[in-house]
Amino acid sequence: MKAPEVAKYILTSCPTLSEFHAYMFGSSLVSTGSDFDILIVGPSGDTLSQLKLEIRAAGSMLPLDVLYMLPEEAEETNFVSRKKCISFENLCKLNNDITKKCSTGVA
Amino acid sequence: MTWQIKFALEYLQKNARLNSAEHIRDDAIKIELHDGSEVIAIISAAYKMTTELAAQYHVDFPDMSFLCGYRKECIWDGGAIRYVQEKQIGWGNAGSLSDAVESGDFINAEHKLYFFSYRLIRQMRSISNLDREYDRVFTMSLKNGNSYRVGMIMEYEPTADSIRTFWDQFGPIDVAWNINPNGSPTQQAINTGQELGCKVVKWEELKQLMGNH
Repeated sequence: MKAPEVAKYILTSCPTLSEFHAYMFGSSLVSTGSDFDILIVGPSGDTLSQLKLEIRAAGSMLPLDVLYMLPEEAEETNFVSRKKCISFENLCKLNNDITKKCSTGVA
Repeated sequence: MTWQIKFALEYLQKNARLNSAEHIRDDAIKIELHDGSEVIAIISAAYKMTTELAAQYHVDFPDMSFLCGYRKECIWDGGAIRYVQEKQIGWGNAGSLSDAVESGDFINAEHKLYFFSYRLIRQMRSISNLDREYDRVFTMSLKNGNSYRVGMIMEYEPTADSIRTFWDQFGPIDVAWNINPNGSPTQQAINTGQELGCKVVKWEELKQLMGNH
């Protein structure tokens, strides 16, 4: 399973993710890493607890390494830009483009 | 073939220098190293590696050279660590297995996330007793009479959530030590530590706490 497929799978499996911003970063974006590094930015509390349950279930057969940050922490650390994180939405677009190219035979 | 075996085989074949790697049965794979020798590694999907589970794997595969907790969340009990070390079996995550494959040294292979930090602690002369409860939690008794329960936090930049989650998983700690040398805890992580009653520190602050100025 490649990074765009994992992003799409998690987005569809975790409804609570709609209240967060999700990104992928690290080696799994470009090659086969030992795990998929994921950053999730959003609120704490019950919503986060619910999301963790969903992520755990969705990732029961995937090697996920998930980092949860509050919005102010993401801003303080500038993590998204420093680690060249790619949003799940963009990864999904990439996945759709690949699928389209494959189905139309475009290399 | 289980999901973690598939990932592990793909990861090893792309990231380590070896002749071949193949699934044998259950959670075991056979790796032919680049020098032609063969080893057996167990690739476990357990969330927690207990003494009992490690011992069971050893009964099932007496020739095993490495026990890999493939999940990032996998927590190793201190008892499981002591068991595999006594039996001269390497242990750790996928990266640790990959390193062992590269070096050919499985006997001394340890979880790479915690290896350097825990070795550093073992070398401190101010410590009179050290008890490793989990791969990332130990209690150190100092010669000056003080005792601290310490959690090793590997995150690049520990967040409020990582401190709170660690506390919930492992119970109260006196010190959350950020062992990743390339980052620092966020201000919210430090504040969360203060709320819970633990210091969130880097190595220099931990050293001061231990009285090794």
